Amino acid sequence: MASRYLIAASIALVVVSLSFAVAYGALGTAVPLENIRSLARAYVTLAYAPWNRTLTAMSPEAVTSIVWDFRGVDTFFETTVLFGAIIGTVTLFRGIKPSARIGEGLSIIARSAAAVTAPMILAVAAAIALHGHLTPGGGFQGGATAAVVALVILVTFSLGYLVSGLSKERALMLRSAGLLGIAAVALIPLILGGVVFQNQAKELSQFSYPAYIGGALTSGSLLFYNLFESLAVAAGLTLTIMLLLSPHEVVEEAVRGEEHERV
Amino acid sequence: MSEFEASLSLIVLFSLFANTAIALYGVFSKPNLVKKLISMTILSDTANAFAIVIGYRAWPSPEESPVPPVLTNISGGYAAVQELVQKSVDPFPQALVLTAVVIGLAVTIFLASIILHYHRTHGTVEMVVSG
Amino acid sequence: MIEPVNVALGLAALSAVLSVIATYLAVSDRDLLRALIFSALQSTAYAIIFLVLMAPDIVLVYVPVAVGIYPAVVLALIKRVGRFEGGEGGE
Repeated sequence: MASRYLIAASIALVVVSLSFAVAYGALGTAVPLENIRSLARAYVTLAYAPWNRTLTAMSPEAVTSIVWDFRGVDTFFETTVLFGAIIGTVTLFRGIKPSARIGEGLSIIARSAAAVTAPMILAVAAAIALHGHLTPGGGFQGGATAAVVALVILVTFSLGYLVSGLSKERALMLRSAGLLGIAAVALIPLILGGVVFQNQAKELSQFSYPAYIGGALTSGSLLFYNLFESLAVAAGLTLTIMLLLSPHEVVEEAVRGEEHERV
Repeated sequence: MSEFEASLSLIVLFSLFANTAIALYGVFSKPNLVKKLISMTILSDTANAFAIVIGYRAWPSPEESPVPPVLTNISGGYAAVQELVQKSVDPFPQALVLTAVVIGLAVTIFLASIILHYHRTHGTVEMVVSG
Repeated sequence: MIEPVNVALGLAALSAVLSVIATYLAVSDRDLLRALIFSALQSTAYAIIFLVLMAPDIVLVYVPVAVGIYPAVVLALIKRVGRFEGGEGGE
Protein backbone atom coordinates (compact mmCIF):
# COMPACT_ATOMS: atom_id res chain seq x y z
CA MET A 1 0.00 0.00 0.00
CA ALA A 2 2.89 2.34 0.78
CA SER A 3 4.19 1.99 -2.80
CA ARG A 4 0.87 3.34 -4.12
CA TYR A 5 1.27 6.57 -2.10
CA LEU A 6 4.87 6.82 -3.29
CA ILE A 7 3.71 6.54 -6.90
CA ALA A 8 1.05 9.21 -6.38
CA ALA A 9 3.49 11.56 -4.68
CA SER A 10 6.16 11.16 -7.35
CA ILE A 11 3.65 11.74 -10.18
CA ALA A 12 2.39 14.88 -8.45
CA LEU A 13 5.95 16.15 -7.97
CA VAL A 14 6.93 15.52 -11.61
CA VAL A 15 3.77 17.12 -13.01
CA VAL A 16 3.99 20.19 -10.76
CA SER A 17 7.66 20.80 -11.57
CA LEU A 18 7.02 20.24 -15.27
CA SER A 19 4.10 22.66 -15.29
CA PHE A 20 6.22 25.24 -13.48
CA ALA A 21 9.04 24.81 -16.00
CA VAL A 22 6.76 25.06 -19.02
CA ALA A 23 4.62 27.93 -17.75
CA TYR A 24 7.36 30.20 -16.41
CA GLY A 25 10.53 28.96 -18.08
CA ALA A 26 9.31 28.57 -21.65
CA LEU A 27 5.99 30.30 -22.26
CA GLY A 28 6.48 33.36 -20.07
CA THR A 29 3.73 34.71 -17.87
CA ALA A 30 1.30 35.29 -20.76
CA VAL A 31 -0.06 32.24 -22.62
CA PRO A 32 0.61 32.24 -25.55
CA LEU A 33 3.46 34.58 -26.58
CA GLU A 34 2.82 37.83 -28.44
CA ASN A 35 6.02 37.52 -30.49
CA ILE A 36 8.36 34.76 -31.57
CA ARG A 37 11.86 34.49 -30.11
CA SER A 38 14.85 36.13 -31.79
CA LEU A 39 16.32 32.75 -32.78
CA ALA A 40 13.07 31.83 -34.58
CA ARG A 41 13.04 35.29 -36.17
CA ALA A 42 16.54 34.66 -37.56
CA TYR A 43 15.56 31.22 -38.90
CA VAL A 44 12.41 32.48 -40.64
CA THR A 45 14.25 35.49 -42.08
CA LEU A 46 17.16 33.47 -43.41
CA ALA A 47 15.29 30.40 -44.70
CA TYR A 48 14.71 32.02 -48.10
CA ALA A 49 16.92 35.07 -48.66
CA PRO A 50 18.49 35.31 -52.14
CA TRP A 51 19.80 38.78 -51.16
CA ASN A 52 21.91 37.22 -48.39
CA ARG A 53 23.46 34.26 -50.16
CA THR A 54 26.14 33.49 -47.57
CA LEU A 55 23.65 32.79 -44.74
CA THR A 56 20.49 31.47 -46.37
CA ALA A 57 19.29 27.90 -47.00
CA MET A 58 17.36 28.97 -50.13
CA SER A 59 14.19 27.12 -49.08
CA PRO A 60 10.84 28.82 -48.44
CA GLU A 61 10.09 26.07 -45.89
CA ALA A 62 11.65 27.12 -42.59
CA VAL A 63 11.15 23.72 -40.89
CA THR A 64 12.92 21.76 -43.62
CA SER A 65 15.75 24.26 -43.78
CA ILE A 66 16.26 23.93 -40.00
CA VAL A 67 16.10 20.14 -40.19
CA TRP A 68 18.62 19.70 -43.02
CA ASP A 69 20.64 22.92 -43.16
CA PHE A 70 20.80 25.10 -40.04
CA ARG A 71 20.83 22.15 -37.65
CA GLY A 72 21.75 19.36 -40.07
CA VAL A 73 24.14 17.59 -37.72
CA ASP A 74 21.35 17.29 -35.11
CA THR A 75 19.16 15.56 -37.66
CA PHE A 76 22.04 13.32 -38.72
CA PHE A 77 22.40 11.93 -35.20
CA GLU A 78 18.63 11.72 -34.73
CA THR A 79 18.56 9.60 -37.89
CA THR A 80 21.31 7.50 -36.32
CA VAL A 81 19.08 6.86 -33.28
CA LEU A 82 16.22 5.90 -35.59
CA PHE A 83 18.30 3.35 -37.43
CA GLY A 84 19.88 2.07 -34.23
CA ALA A 85 16.37 1.12 -33.11
CA ILE A 86 15.58 -0.48 -36.49
CA ILE A 87 18.84 -2.43 -36.49
CA GLY A 88 18.04 -3.60 -32.94
CA THR A 89 14.67 -4.94 -34.12
CA VAL A 90 16.22 -6.67 -37.13
CA THR A 91 18.83 -8.23 -34.83
CA LEU A 92 16.20 -9.52 -32.41
CA PHE A 93 14.41 -11.19 -35.35
CA ARG A 94 17.57 -12.48 -37.05
CA GLY A 95 17.28 -15.76 -38.92
CA ILE A 96 13.60 -15.22 -39.72
CA LYS A 97 12.66 -15.51 -43.35
CA PRO A 98 9.19 -14.10 -44.07
CA SER A 99 7.76 -16.75 -46.40
CA ALA A 100 6.75 -15.67 -49.89
CA ARG A 101 3.70 -17.96 -49.83
CA ILE A 102 0.81 -15.80 -51.02
CA GLY A 103 -2.15 -16.12 -48.68
CA GLU A 104 -5.80 -15.42 -49.30
CA GLY A 105 -6.03 -11.94 -47.83
CA LEU A 106 -9.33 -10.14 -47.27
CA SER A 107 -12.42 -10.17 -49.48
CA ILE A 108 -12.42 -9.05 -53.11
CA ILE A 109 -14.07 -5.74 -52.13
CA ALA A 110 -11.29 -4.84 -49.68
CA ARG A 111 -8.61 -5.95 -52.12
CA SER A 112 -10.04 -3.86 -54.98
CA ALA A 113 -10.30 -0.81 -52.72
CA ALA A 114 -6.69 -1.30 -51.59
CA ALA A 115 -5.52 -1.75 -55.19
CA VAL A 116 -7.05 1.63 -56.03
CA THR A 117 -5.95 3.54 -52.94
CA ALA A 118 -2.41 2.15 -52.50
CA PRO A 119 -0.94 3.82 -55.63
CA MET A 120 -2.70 7.05 -54.63
CA ILE A 121 -1.16 6.99 -51.14
CA LEU A 122 2.22 6.26 -52.74
CA ALA A 123 1.80 9.26 -55.07
CA VAL A 124 0.91 11.49 -52.11
CA ALA A 125 3.96 10.19 -50.23
CA ALA A 126 6.22 10.98 -53.18
CA ALA A 127 4.71 14.46 -53.49
CA ILE A 128 5.19 15.11 -49.75
CA ALA A 129 8.81 13.96 -49.88
CA LEU A 130 9.91 15.64 -53.12
CA HIS A 131 8.17 18.97 -52.45
CA GLY A 132 9.49 19.02 -48.89
CA HIS A 133 11.64 22.08 -49.53
CA LEU A 134 8.71 24.09 -50.95
CA THR A 135 5.60 23.06 -49.01
CA PRO A 136 5.02 21.44 -45.58
CA GLY A 137 6.45 17.95 -45.71
CA GLY A 138 9.80 16.31 -46.21
CA GLY A 139 11.69 13.06 -46.00
CA PHE A 140 10.32 11.82 -42.68
CA GLN A 141 6.69 12.58 -43.57
CA GLY A 142 6.93 11.07 -47.05
CA GLY A 143 8.70 7.97 -45.75
CA ALA A 144 6.16 7.35 -42.99
CA THR A 145 3.29 7.79 -45.47
CA ALA A 146 4.92 5.33 -47.89
CA ALA A 147 5.29 2.77 -45.07
CA VAL A 148 1.48 2.94 -44.60
CA VAL A 149 1.14 1.65 -48.20
CA ALA A 150 3.15 -1.45 -47.26
CA LEU A 151 0.93 -1.89 -44.19
CA VAL A 152 -2.27 -1.64 -46.28
CA ILE A 153 -0.94 -4.21 -48.77
CA LEU A 154 0.15 -6.51 -45.93
CA VAL A 155 -3.25 -6.43 -44.24
CA THR A 156 -5.46 -6.72 -47.33
CA PHE A 157 -3.42 -9.00 -49.61
CA SER A 158 -1.25 -11.00 -47.11
CA LEU A 159 2.36 -10.96 -46.00
CA GLY A 160 3.47 -13.28 -48.80
CA TYR A 161 2.19 -10.86 -51.45
CA LEU A 162 4.26 -8.04 -49.94
CA VAL A 163 7.35 -10.25 -49.51
CA SER A 164 7.15 -11.51 -53.12
CA GLY A 165 7.48 -7.89 -54.26
CA LEU A 166 9.77 -6.51 -51.56
CA SER A 167 11.85 -9.19 -49.83
CA LYS A 168 13.65 -8.65 -46.52
CA GLU A 169 17.01 -8.35 -48.27
CA ARG A 170 15.67 -5.86 -50.79
CA ALA A 171 14.18 -3.69 -48.04
CA LEU A 172 17.51 -3.77 -46.18
CA MET A 173 19.26 -2.81 -49.41
CA LEU A 174 16.90 0.13 -50.06
CA ARG A 175 17.37 1.33 -46.48
CA SER A 176 21.15 1.13 -46.79
CA ALA A 177 21.01 2.93 -50.14
CA GLY A 178 19.07 5.74 -48.52
CA LEU A 179 21.54 6.03 -45.65
CA LEU A 180 24.51 5.95 -48.05
CA GLY A 181 22.84 8.68 -50.09
CA ILE A 182 22.49 10.88 -46.99
CA ALA A 183 26.14 10.26 -46.09
CA ALA A 184 27.26 11.02 -49.65
CA VAL A 185 25.30 14.28 -49.84
CA ALA A 186 26.77 15.28 -46.46
CA LEU A 187 30.36 14.37 -47.40
CA ILE A 188 30.56 15.62 -51.02
CA PRO A 189 31.14 19.26 -49.88
CA LEU A 190 34.05 18.07 -47.70
CA ILE A 191 35.73 16.42 -50.69
CA LEU A 192 35.18 19.44 -52.92
CA GLY A 193 36.65 21.92 -50.46
CA GLY A 194 33.67 22.83 -48.28
CA VAL A 195 32.56 21.72 -44.81
CA VAL A 196 30.39 18.78 -43.74
CA PHE A 197 26.62 19.34 -44.25
CA GLN A 198 27.22 22.47 -46.28
CA ASN A 199 24.37 23.57 -48.50
CA GLN A 200 24.94 27.08 -49.87
CA ALA A 201 28.23 28.96 -50.13
CA LYS A 202 29.49 30.57 -46.91
CA GLU A 203 32.09 33.32 -46.32
CA LEU A 204 34.95 30.92 -45.66
CA SER A 205 34.06 27.98 -47.92
CA GLN A 206 32.80 28.65 -51.39
CA PHE A 207 31.27 25.23 -52.18
CA SER A 208 27.59 25.42 -53.04
CA TYR A 209 24.92 22.98 -54.21
CA PRO A 210 22.91 24.49 -57.07
CA ALA A 211 19.89 26.32 -55.68
CA TYR A 212 18.06 26.17 -59.02
CA ILE A 213 18.12 23.25 -61.46
CA GLY A 214 16.67 24.10 -64.86
CA GLY A 215 14.95 27.17 -63.46
CA ALA A 216 13.13 25.23 -60.69
CA LEU A 217 13.93 25.99 -57.06
CA THR A 218 15.54 22.84 -55.59
CA SER A 219 17.14 24.44 -52.50
CA GLY A 220 20.57 22.83 -52.99
CA SER A 221 21.07 19.74 -50.87
CA LEU A 222 17.61 19.77 -49.24
CA LEU A 223 15.95 18.00 -52.20
CA PHE A 224 18.54 15.20 -52.09
CA TYR A 225 18.32 14.81 -48.31
CA ASN A 226 14.52 14.57 -48.48
CA LEU A 227 14.71 12.02 -51.31
CA PHE A 228 17.19 9.72 -49.54
CA GLU A 229 15.62 10.15 -46.11
CA SER A 230 12.16 9.17 -47.40
CA LEU A 231 13.70 6.10 -49.06
CA ALA A 232 15.49 5.08 -45.86
CA VAL A 233 12.51 5.70 -43.54
CA ALA A 234 10.02 3.93 -45.83
CA ALA A 235 12.24 0.87 -46.29
CA GLY A 236 13.26 0.69 -42.62
CA LEU A 237 9.71 0.94 -41.25
CA THR A 238 8.41 -1.53 -43.87
CA LEU A 239 11.12 -3.97 -42.86
CA THR A 240 10.31 -3.81 -39.15
CA ILE A 241 6.55 -4.10 -39.79
CA MET A 242 7.22 -7.13 -41.99
CA LEU A 243 9.27 -8.80 -39.25
CA LEU A 244 6.87 -7.93 -36.43
CA LEU A 245 3.80 -9.21 -38.29
CA SER A 246 5.40 -12.42 -39.60
CA PRO A 247 3.53 -15.58 -38.48
CA HIS A 248 4.11 -17.06 -35.06
CA GLU A 249 5.30 -20.48 -36.32
CA VAL A 250 8.04 -19.00 -38.51
CA VAL A 251 9.41 -16.99 -35.59
CA GLU A 252 9.22 -19.97 -33.19
CA GLU A 253 11.04 -22.17 -35.67
CA ALA A 254 13.84 -19.65 -36.20
CA VAL A 255 14.33 -19.13 -32.45
CA ARG A 256 14.24 -22.88 -31.71
CA GLY A 257 16.74 -23.62 -34.50
CA GLU A 258 19.09 -21.07 -32.99
CA GLU A 259 18.87 -22.66 -29.54
CA HIS A 260 19.65 -26.09 -31.05
CA GLU A 261 22.72 -24.65 -32.72
CA ARG A 262 23.93 -23.17 -29.46
CA VAL A 263 23.58 -26.53 -27.65
CA MET B 1 -5.38 39.14 -25.93
CA SER B 2 -8.84 38.71 -24.45
CA GLU B 3 -9.71 36.87 -21.24
CA PHE B 4 -11.65 34.21 -23.13
CA GLU B 5 -8.78 33.54 -25.51
CA ALA B 6 -6.34 33.17 -22.63
CA SER B 7 -8.63 30.76 -20.79
CA LEU B 8 -9.01 28.61 -23.93
CA SER B 9 -5.21 28.39 -24.21
CA LEU B 10 -5.03 27.46 -20.53
CA ILE B 11 -7.56 24.63 -21.08
CA VAL B 12 -5.24 23.18 -23.76
CA LEU B 13 -2.21 23.54 -21.48
CA PHE B 14 -3.83 22.01 -18.40
CA SER B 15 -5.28 19.16 -20.46
CA LEU B 16 -1.72 18.35 -21.51
CA PHE B 17 -0.65 18.40 -17.84
CA ALA B 18 -3.50 16.04 -16.98
CA ASN B 19 -2.46 13.73 -19.81
CA THR B 20 1.12 13.72 -18.50
CA ALA B 21 -0.09 12.73 -15.04
CA ILE B 22 -2.42 9.97 -16.30
CA ALA B 23 0.22 8.55 -18.65
CA LEU B 24 2.86 8.60 -15.89
CA TYR B 25 0.42 6.76 -13.61
CA GLY B 26 -0.04 4.14 -16.34
CA VAL B 27 3.72 3.70 -16.80
CA PHE B 28 4.37 3.43 -13.07
CA SER B 29 1.54 1.37 -11.66
CA LYS B 30 0.11 -0.88 -14.37
CA PRO B 31 1.70 -4.34 -14.23
CA ASN B 32 1.04 -5.21 -17.89
CA LEU B 33 3.97 -4.44 -20.24
CA VAL B 34 1.70 -3.70 -23.23
CA LYS B 35 -0.27 -1.21 -21.09
CA LYS B 36 3.03 0.34 -20.04
CA LEU B 37 3.98 0.66 -23.74
CA ILE B 38 0.66 2.34 -24.63
CA SER B 39 1.02 4.76 -21.68
CA MET B 40 4.59 5.54 -22.70
CA THR B 41 3.60 6.49 -26.24
CA ILE B 42 0.90 8.80 -24.81
CA LEU B 43 3.57 10.35 -22.56
CA SER B 44 5.96 10.96 -25.47
CA ASP B 45 3.15 12.38 -27.61
CA THR B 46 2.32 14.79 -24.79
CA ALA B 47 5.95 15.87 -24.50
CA ASN B 48 5.93 16.59 -28.24
CA ALA B 49 2.70 18.57 -27.87
CA PHE B 50 4.34 20.69 -25.14
CA ALA B 51 7.14 21.58 -27.54
CA ILE B 52 4.61 22.65 -30.19
CA VAL B 53 2.68 24.74 -27.64
CA ILE B 54 5.91 26.52 -26.70
CA GLY B 55 6.40 27.50 -30.36
CA TYR B 56 2.87 28.90 -30.76
CA ARG B 57 2.08 32.61 -30.57
CA ALA B 58 -0.95 34.79 -30.02
CA TRP B 59 -3.06 35.90 -32.97
CA PRO B 60 -1.92 39.23 -34.46
CA SER B 61 -5.60 40.32 -34.49
CA PRO B 62 -8.86 38.45 -33.77
CA GLU B 63 -9.55 38.01 -37.51
CA GLU B 64 -6.04 37.14 -38.63
CA SER B 65 -4.38 33.88 -37.59
CA PRO B 66 -0.64 33.24 -37.29
CA VAL B 67 0.68 31.30 -40.28
CA PRO B 68 2.91 28.20 -40.59
CA PRO B 69 6.58 29.11 -41.12
CA VAL B 70 6.35 28.60 -44.88
CA LEU B 71 6.93 31.41 -47.37
CA THR B 72 4.13 31.20 -49.94
CA ASN B 73 4.97 34.34 -51.92
CA ILE B 74 8.47 33.49 -53.21
CA SER B 75 8.64 36.34 -55.72
CA GLY B 76 7.61 38.91 -53.10
CA GLY B 77 11.18 39.76 -52.15
CA TYR B 78 12.32 41.11 -48.80
CA ALA B 79 8.94 42.64 -47.94
CA ALA B 80 7.20 39.23 -48.15
CA VAL B 81 9.77 37.70 -45.77
CA GLN B 82 9.31 40.54 -43.28
CA GLU B 83 5.53 40.10 -43.45
CA LEU B 84 5.99 36.35 -42.77
CA VAL B 85 8.17 37.09 -39.72
CA GLN B 86 5.39 39.29 -38.32
CA LYS B 87 2.84 36.44 -38.48
CA SER B 88 4.74 33.12 -38.45
CA VAL B 89 4.93 30.68 -35.52
CA ASP B 90 8.27 29.41 -34.18
CA PRO B 91 9.64 26.77 -36.61
CA PHE B 92 12.35 25.42 -34.31
CA PRO B 93 10.25 23.19 -31.94
CA GLN B 94 8.47 21.82 -35.02
CA ALA B 95 11.79 20.79 -36.56
CA LEU B 96 12.79 18.98 -33.35
CA VAL B 97 9.40 17.26 -32.88
CA LEU B 98 9.42 16.11 -36.51
CA THR B 99 12.33 13.74 -35.95
CA ALA B 100 11.20 12.91 -32.40
CA VAL B 101 7.91 11.45 -33.71
CA VAL B 102 9.66 9.13 -36.17
CA ILE B 103 12.28 8.11 -33.61
CA GLY B 104 9.50 7.47 -31.09
CA LEU B 105 7.89 5.11 -33.58
CA ALA B 106 11.16 3.22 -34.12
CA VAL B 107 11.71 2.92 -30.36
CA THR B 108 8.11 1.68 -29.98
CA ILE B 109 8.77 -1.02 -32.58
CA PHE B 110 11.97 -1.98 -30.75
CA LEU B 111 10.18 -2.20 -27.37
CA ALA B 112 7.38 -4.21 -28.98
CA SER B 113 9.85 -6.79 -30.26
CA ILE B 114 11.53 -6.95 -26.83
CA ILE B 115 8.11 -7.56 -25.20
CA LEU B 116 7.42 -10.28 -27.78
CA HIS B 117 10.67 -12.04 -26.88
CA TYR B 118 9.93 -11.65 -23.17
CA HIS B 119 6.55 -13.29 -23.70
CA ARG B 120 8.16 -16.11 -25.66
CA THR B 121 10.63 -16.95 -22.90
CA HIS B 122 8.50 -16.26 -19.80
CA GLY B 123 4.99 -16.96 -21.08
CA THR B 124 3.54 -13.79 -19.55
CA VAL B 125 3.81 -10.01 -19.76
CA GLU B 126 2.56 -9.26 -16.24
CA MET B 127 5.15 -7.64 -13.98
CA VAL B 128 3.77 -8.74 -10.61
CA VAL B 129 6.14 -8.66 -7.65
CA SER B 130 5.13 -11.36 -5.19
CA GLY B 131 4.81 -10.57 -1.51
CA MET C 1 -20.59 37.33 -33.95
CA ILE C 2 -18.06 34.69 -32.94
CA GLU C 3 -14.52 35.74 -33.73
CA PRO C 4 -12.29 33.31 -35.71
CA VAL C 5 -9.71 33.27 -32.94
CA ASN C 6 -12.25 31.81 -30.53
CA VAL C 7 -13.40 29.22 -33.07
CA ALA C 8 -9.83 27.99 -33.64
CA LEU C 9 -8.78 28.00 -30.00
CA GLY C 10 -12.13 26.52 -28.99
CA LEU C 11 -11.54 23.63 -31.39
CA ALA C 12 -8.13 23.11 -29.81
CA ALA C 13 -9.58 23.22 -26.29
CA LEU C 14 -12.34 20.76 -27.25
CA SER C 15 -9.76 18.35 -28.72
CA ALA C 16 -7.63 18.74 -25.61
CA VAL C 17 -10.54 17.79 -23.32
CA LEU C 18 -11.36 14.86 -25.63
CA SER C 19 -7.73 13.73 -25.44
CA VAL C 20 -7.85 13.76 -21.62
CA ILE C 21 -10.97 11.53 -21.65
CA ALA C 22 -9.37 9.20 -24.23
CA THR C 23 -6.13 9.00 -22.25
CA TYR C 24 -7.99 8.19 -19.03
CA LEU C 25 -9.98 5.43 -20.76
CA ALA C 26 -6.84 4.09 -22.47
CA VAL C 27 -4.97 3.80 -19.18
CA SER C 28 -7.87 2.49 -17.09
CA ASP C 29 -9.43 -0.05 -19.49
CA ARG C 30 -8.43 -3.66 -18.80
CA ASP C 31 -9.13 -4.68 -22.41
CA LEU C 32 -5.89 -3.88 -24.26
CA LEU C 33 -7.57 -3.73 -27.67
CA ARG C 34 -10.00 -1.05 -26.47
CA ALA C 35 -7.11 0.75 -24.77
CA LEU C 36 -5.29 0.82 -28.11
CA ILE C 37 -8.33 2.26 -29.88
CA PHE C 38 -8.68 4.96 -27.20
CA SER C 39 -4.98 5.71 -27.63
CA ALA C 40 -5.52 6.18 -31.38
CA LEU C 41 -8.44 8.51 -30.53
CA GLN C 42 -6.10 10.54 -28.31
CA SER C 43 -3.63 10.74 -31.22
CA THR C 44 -6.39 12.05 -33.51
CA ALA C 45 -7.24 14.74 -30.95
CA TYR C 46 -3.55 15.71 -30.81
CA ALA C 47 -3.43 15.91 -34.62
CA ILE C 48 -6.29 18.45 -34.50
CA ILE C 49 -4.42 20.42 -31.80
CA PHE C 50 -1.27 20.46 -33.96
CA LEU C 51 -3.33 21.66 -36.93
CA VAL C 52 -4.76 24.56 -34.90
CA LEU C 53 -1.29 25.39 -33.56
CA MET C 54 -0.09 25.91 -37.17
CA ALA C 55 2.25 22.93 -37.43
CA PRO C 56 1.37 21.28 -40.78
CA ASP C 57 4.70 19.42 -40.89
CA ILE C 58 3.91 17.67 -37.63
CA VAL C 59 0.38 16.79 -38.75
CA LEU C 60 1.76 15.20 -41.93
CA VAL C 61 4.17 13.00 -39.98
CA TYR C 62 1.85 12.38 -37.01
CA VAL C 63 -1.18 11.08 -38.90
CA PRO C 64 0.55 8.16 -40.70
CA VAL C 65 2.68 7.31 -37.67
CA ALA C 66 0.24 7.59 -34.77
CA VAL C 67 -2.96 6.52 -36.54
CA GLY C 68 -1.46 4.11 -39.11
CA ILE C 69 1.70 2.27 -38.17
CA TYR C 70 1.75 2.44 -34.37
CA PRO C 71 -1.68 0.77 -33.80
CA ALA C 72 -0.70 -1.97 -36.27
CA VAL C 73 2.48 -2.70 -34.32
CA VAL C 74 0.73 -2.81 -30.94
CA LEU C 75 -2.10 -4.87 -32.50
CA ALA C 76 0.46 -7.49 -33.59
CA LEU C 77 1.79 -7.46 -30.02
CA ILE C 78 -1.69 -7.85 -28.46
CA LYS C 79 -2.47 -10.75 -30.79
CA ARG C 80 0.48 -12.67 -29.33
CA VAL C 81 0.39 -11.76 -25.65
CA GLY C 82 -3.36 -11.92 -25.07
CA ARG C 83 -6.11 -9.35 -25.11
CA PHE C 84 -6.88 -8.87 -21.43
CA GLU C 85 -4.75 -7.39 -18.70
CA GLY C 86 -4.16 -9.80 -15.83
CA GLY C 87 -5.28 -12.81 -17.89
CA GLU C 88 -3.18 -15.84 -18.70
CA GLY C 89 -3.31 -14.74 -22.34
CA GLY C 90 -1.30 -15.85 -25.31
CA GLU C 91 -2.17 -18.09 -28.18
